[in-house]
Amino acid sequence: MITMLEACGLRKTFTLHNQNGVVLNVLDHVDLDLAAGEMVVLKGPSGAGKSTLLRILYGNYKPVAGAVRLRHDGEMVDIVGARTSRVLDIRRRTLSFVSQFLRVIPRVATLDIVKDQMLTRGIGDAEATERAAAMLTRLNLPEQMWGLAPATFSGGEQQRVNIARSFVAPTPLLLLDEPTASLDPVNRDVVVELIETTRKAGSAMVGIFHDDAVSSRIATRVMQLSPRKAV
Amino acid sequence: MTPASQHDPDYNYAYLDEATKRMLRRCLLKAIAIPGYQVPFASREMPLARGWGTGGIQITAAIIGPADTLKVIDQGADDTTNAVSIRHFFARVTAVATTEETTKASLIQTRHRIPEEPLRDGQILVYQVPLPEPLRKLIPSESETRKIHAWAEYGPIYVRLYEDIAQYGHVTSTYSHPILVNDRYIASPTPIPKFDNPKMHMSPALQLFGAGREKRLYAIPPYTKVKSLDFEDYPFALQRWDEPCALCGSTSSYLDEVIINDANERMFVCSDTHYCETRRAEGHEGPQLAKAQSVRLTGCAP
Amino acid sequence: MIEEAPLLRAQNVTRLYGGRVGCRDISFSLWPGEVLGVVGESGSGKTTLLRSLAGFEPPDEGAIHFRHGTEEHDIYALDEASRRAMMRTEWGMVHQNPRDGLRLDVSAGGNIGESLMARGDRHYGKMRARITDWLQRVEIDSSRIDDSPQSFSGGMQQRLQIARVLVAEPRLVFMDEPTGGLDVSVQARLLDLLRVLVRDLHLAAIIVTHDLAVARLLTDRLIVMKDGHIIEEGLTDQILDDPHHAYTQLLTSAVLSA
Repeated sequence: MITMLEACGLRKTFTLHNQNGVVLNVLDHVDLDLAAGEMVVLKGPSGAGKSTLLRILYGNYKPVAGAVRLRHDGEMVDIVGARTSRVLDIRRRTLSFVSQFLRVIPRVATLDIVKDQMLTRGIGDAEATERAAAMLTRLNLPEQMWGLAPATFSGGEQQRVNIARSFVAPTPLLLLDEPTASLDPVNRDVVVELIETTRKAGSAMVGIFHDDAVSSRIATRVMQLSPRKAV
Repeated sequence: MTPASQHDPDYNYAYLDEATKRMLRRCLLKAIAIPGYQVPFASREMPLARGWGTGGIQITAAIIGPADTLKVIDQGADDTTNAVSIRHFFARVTAVATTEETTKASLIQTRHRIPEEPLRDGQILVYQVPLPEPLRKLIPSESETRKIHAWAEYGPIYVRLYEDIAQYGHVTSTYSHPILVNDRYIASPTPIPKFDNPKMHMSPALQLFGAGREKRLYAIPPYTKVKSLDFEDYPFALQRWDEPCALCGSTSSYLDEVIINDANERMFVCSDTHYCETRRAEGHEGPQLAKAQSVRLTGCAP
Repeated sequence: MIEEAPLLRAQNVTRLYGGRVGCRDISFSLWPGEVLGVVGESGSGKTTLLRSLAGFEPPDEGAIHFRHGTEEHDIYALDEASRRAMMRTEWGMVHQNPRDGLRLDVSAGGNIGESLMARGDRHYGKMRARITDWLQRVEIDSSRIDDSPQSFSGGMQQRLQIARVLVAEPRLVFMDEPTGGLDVSVQARLLDLLRVLVRDLHLAAIIVTHDLAVARLLTDRLIVMKDGHIIEEGLTDQILDDPHHAYTQLLTSAVLSA
């Protein structure tokens, strides 16, 4: 079993300087280990810090204490406090974050969005185009849409563009924040299948899924989080 | 040729006081030592307005001596007002011999032409320069152009050539085509036609340039490399005329277009009047010589 | 992918205007291929810092080191000629107002060509081909090559300026509010263009902006400035999503959706 991620002693508070300095205590002493081929689903009521944990694992939020070591280029690197260029390199090749929202530069065509990460990683244009096209087809996004910018797409369509972008050349570590949230049953099944295939191919994943049916289908392990009080 | 006589005793020799002439000579020595480099000098008030050749006149005044023979040309002509006035001026304040013959002159002051007859060792050519800075149109700042010269950052000057080729298919400038002196400084050849540019290269004569209004002088010592700027695939090219000089039949000289009547008739004649007259005296005849003589366009009849 | 030695190092850079502080005690490193954003309100010292970094104004204290090959040079300890040579070849500046970075009396092609001629190109045909290529890269119709930039729209002028800078193949580009005076749709196109060019050319960039949306789309890392100081720095998304300093929290919350 290859350990892909070790998070230990994570503690996170938010200090709201502009709201009378309120301090929100969100996570305390959280540990998480993750091996290749695993899918850990985070559970807990709203406010338990599921999203916060996911964002800390991605380096998006900075924990007050603790470390997030993940396997990058064969060695364990702590993403907390790593140099920016190192974090970006990790995100380019090892770690990706899949949310239900598509955040892109307006006016960029769908196909180009899906190709972008592959081009950044040095995959040739022809191959990138081919793989992107296959992925978009699989997610039931018709070819007429590929040349358009997703700004005018429906929520579900944008979400699928986002999934296509993340799963077209998946990284060894994936963090999923409700990627199936507003999909219709057909497309939800496609995405679930995509997640399963990717996991079985060896990617390690941590995810948040509100749909219990989905999470029970794909989870290899469940991690329970409980809310903390403000201090 | 008018022989030397006595100079006007009311003026110091060559008009300028001795201290000014010394200052000018020091600046000229520096200019000769750094070919193409613009040397600032304390330009004096002259008895004619700045912009009328005061830079050239001051240089001539600083270097002229009783043994000199002076020729003055304006656009190649010895007989135009400016040339005649400056020649008279020096005749009066120095009493040197004057001449229209290029080969007999030891000192030639010129506005915008180099004589057709090749210059020789020992001659000095003094140019009147209106705008000494070849980069000025592109770069208004004097401190910036000085830095550009100092470090030979000469990229921007090629923009002008680029623009010409882009807009017209060839370099359209016919005069004042910038030159690279001694592989180092880019200088303005003054508004001489670019036809004359090759004559500057390895010239046996000393070439001195004076800009009175802009207070700069510079020099090209004898036998100095002078290259006209160009692109590798658009080499520097001279303008050509389809016809010979209408008066003397020369096919190798720089020609001026002259409109001869209201019926739109014109002729092309040598801009170097002395050269043209000499050739006619030798018996060369252009296609319209007879006609020109009939309407007295040839100046003094040969 | 990211090389180990920094391309540029600012060390305690301080620039004063009389008694007033332009920027004080600024230190950071920039790695090859990295895009750094400098954000903060007007008057927070962003442009002052940029001008010092780009070689225009020496800092009153501190030093700016630029790596050339394996050697690091303190750019203000170099003689002016060498510094100007580096400014022509190693880095370029994209001004907020394209009029500051273009020659408006010279054709579009001439503007791009000047950068080539400055580095010694003397072959018209080859330059012409490169210019045409660059016009296409910045999405300007190559039939406009001989037109005056004065006949261009603001967005086209800005793209022309970018081509003029990038044709010299710098390793680092400074941009001062590159999308400043443009309307939103033109901005979006320019942002995408910049993003693609930065990726394809493996450029490092320092972008001064007060627009957090621009910062999020273009930059890898952010420096937040206030009153001439750096008050927070880190990964762009971390600064924008999890701001720690009171001022950064105020800045991010003042934006509807960055």
